[in-house]
Amino acid sequence: MGLDGQGLATDAATVQVIATIIKFVIIFILCMQVPPLMVWVERRAPALMQRRKGPNRVGIGKWRLYGLMQSLADAIKLIFKEEVVPEGANRAFYHIAPIFAVFPAFLIACAIPYGHTMQLFGYTIPLSIVDIDVGFLFIFAFSSLAVYGVTLAGWASNSKYSLLGALRASAQMISYEIPLGLSLIPIVLIFGTLDLNQIVVAQSAWIWKWGVIKAPISFLIFLICMFAETNRAPFDLAEGESELVAGFHTEFNSAKFAAFFLAEYVSMFILSLLAATIFFGGWQIPFVPYHALLVVTGGLTWLASLIGFVVLILKACFFMFLYVWVRWTLPRFRYDQLMSLGWKFMLPLGLANVFITAVVVAAIQFG
Amino acid sequence: MVPVDNYLVLATVMFLCGTLGVLFRRNLIMVLMAIELMLNAVNLVFVAGSQALGNLDGQVMVFFIITVAACEAAVGLAMVIALFRRYGTIDTSFLRMLRG
Amino acid sequence: MTQQVLFYIFAALITLCSIGVITVRNPVTAAMYLVSDLFLLAGIYAMMQAHFVAAIQILVYAGAIVVLFIFVIMLLNLGPEARQRLKIPAPELAVLVITTIAFIGVAIMMTNGQPTVPVGALTPKAVQAAGGNTYVVGMVLFTKYLWPFELSSMLILLATIASVVIAKKDKAKAVKSTRKEQTLTSPAASSDCVEAAAPASLSNGKVVHGTR
Repeated sequence: MGLDGQGLATDAATVQVIATIIKFVIIFILCMQVPPLMVWVERRAPALMQRRKGPNRVGIGKWRLYGLMQSLADAIKLIFKEEVVPEGANRAFYHIAPIFAVFPAFLIACAIPYGHTMQLFGYTIPLSIVDIDVGFLFIFAFSSLAVYGVTLAGWASNSKYSLLGALRASAQMISYEIPLGLSLIPIVLIFGTLDLNQIVVAQSAWIWKWGVIKAPISFLIFLICMFAETNRAPFDLAEGESELVAGFHTEFNSAKFAAFFLAEYVSMFILSLLAATIFFGGWQIPFVPYHALLVVTGGLTWLASLIGFVVLILKACFFMFLYVWVRWTLPRFRYDQLMSLGWKFMLPLGLANVFITAVVVAAIQFG
Repeated sequence: MVPVDNYLVLATVMFLCGTLGVLFRRNLIMVLMAIELMLNAVNLVFVAGSQALGNLDGQVMVFFIITVAACEAAVGLAMVIALFRRYGTIDTSFLRMLRG
Repeated sequence: MTQQVLFYIFAALITLCSIGVITVRNPVTAAMYLVSDLFLLAGIYAMMQAHFVAAIQILVYAGAIVVLFIFVIMLLNLGPEARQRLKIPAPELAVLVITTIAFIGVAIMMTNGQPTVPVGALTPKAVQAAGGNTYVVGMVLFTKYLWPFELSSMLILLATIASVVIAKKDKAKAVKSTRKEQTLTSPAASSDCVEAAAPASLSNGKVVHGTR
């Protein structure tokens, strides 16, 4: 391990490790800010859509901030509530299930490219936390682990509402994982790589090269499956308040409920980031190619990457708003309607999409 | 790179655990899980062989083994459900209809 | 060096989890030990530069097969196994132990002198230059192994149809059991509600028959 004149380690591997840790901390903090903000949006936005005011009373002193303080009050309440473990619950899995719900979302966050590779102090630092060439497979793999949190939570609670809710929610999640994966295969076919970094670079700043234009049906299927994977309206039968009390997280209170809450909103955010990355150009600014951006920022790659990062977050925010908008607009599906939509419509549509895309790509490549 | 025999020893230990599970567990689902353990041991041997021999055939074999394991688990669990419905139990010491 | 240390850590954890799978009495706990086994194995595959296989292992094995196991355990409402006296007959145990030791010995003897650096075409640099691990595996899969690949798709279709047919309820018994389940009692108590447990009942108490 060499040292330069100022005593800093110059070993490339060490620098990469430090960079990875810093990136992960930043993304972690960012993801942890999402649930409080989303709770606020979830209450204010539909209120304004429905011509009423949402929560706007809670405040610290005179600072009401249009209801943002309500999220803070909710968080404090959740942490200080008494934790009641149901009788007969399987203690080990009761305590572990929230962890299973939370960690896949953060793992998927590791594979998303947050900006163009930047040069900092002479080192090339890629702006995804983990720079692997099988990005897509990594994401599929860890999104299929989200089912465990739901299933174990419902089973460990020793309550019939929880068990039913868990069975329904997990059956729904695994049914919609398949069209989700199928909808992303045409993207792999079109862009020819599994690496998310390269996919974002291939979708340059010109909008007609973005994933949504090249694979519109894929985008549609992905959007619908996005809602189904996170158990959000109109697919939220498993946690519908009027049907099953609170579904699989009925018996969880205080910090564990906060963990499930967190898991849901962070999954939403991660899937929004993914949709923005794959279909909407990721960190690319529309009509401003990267070299033009570099000219504007005077050659500072880190500034260009930072601007790309902000653009990506803005695109993800649009999808988050879409989540809230759809939730408060559409009625929820009945369970059998939901399952038949997933298996009898989404799956054949996804397969047909893959087939047609493969034929078109082969024709373009070899024709 | 880790020498191949390390992987083989680990795979043997896993396979042994799987065999003991198949022989000595009475719950049919546990038997199926032990079978999955054995299949995973074989997967490890294939990937280690692929690395040692410089060939990708081992990894392709693993792909097929995982596919076959999935099919076998699905059919096996369907049979477990049918058995449970018919006999009310999946304890292997009670399911002895085929014994002479 | 780091690979060796990592391997020993993984190996120790895998051994513990495998012993856990076959010894714990609660089926769901055993399934969770199996999941950790699969995760650790995927870690070993990734260490061996077999990224595609590692991802497929988590995606298919840990994310689908074990979920299927847990589903069935939940639907059948299996409790912990009764503790039992483990009577292993001495001759069988001796044969098992001797075979294992012999196999380990033969394995070590046969693989002595095997290369400790990747050979031939499979060095990480060569694989990276060829387009990555997935690319090269895909090339082999779709050229040399195309016929088994297509056959395995037929196999999956067969398995899907077979499992649906085998686990299907009898029509006559289905009519009887829906009458029994007008009100939702304990969802996992009756062994017949394997299918009805999933769609169960709407909020007004009517039972929706599952198969459509």
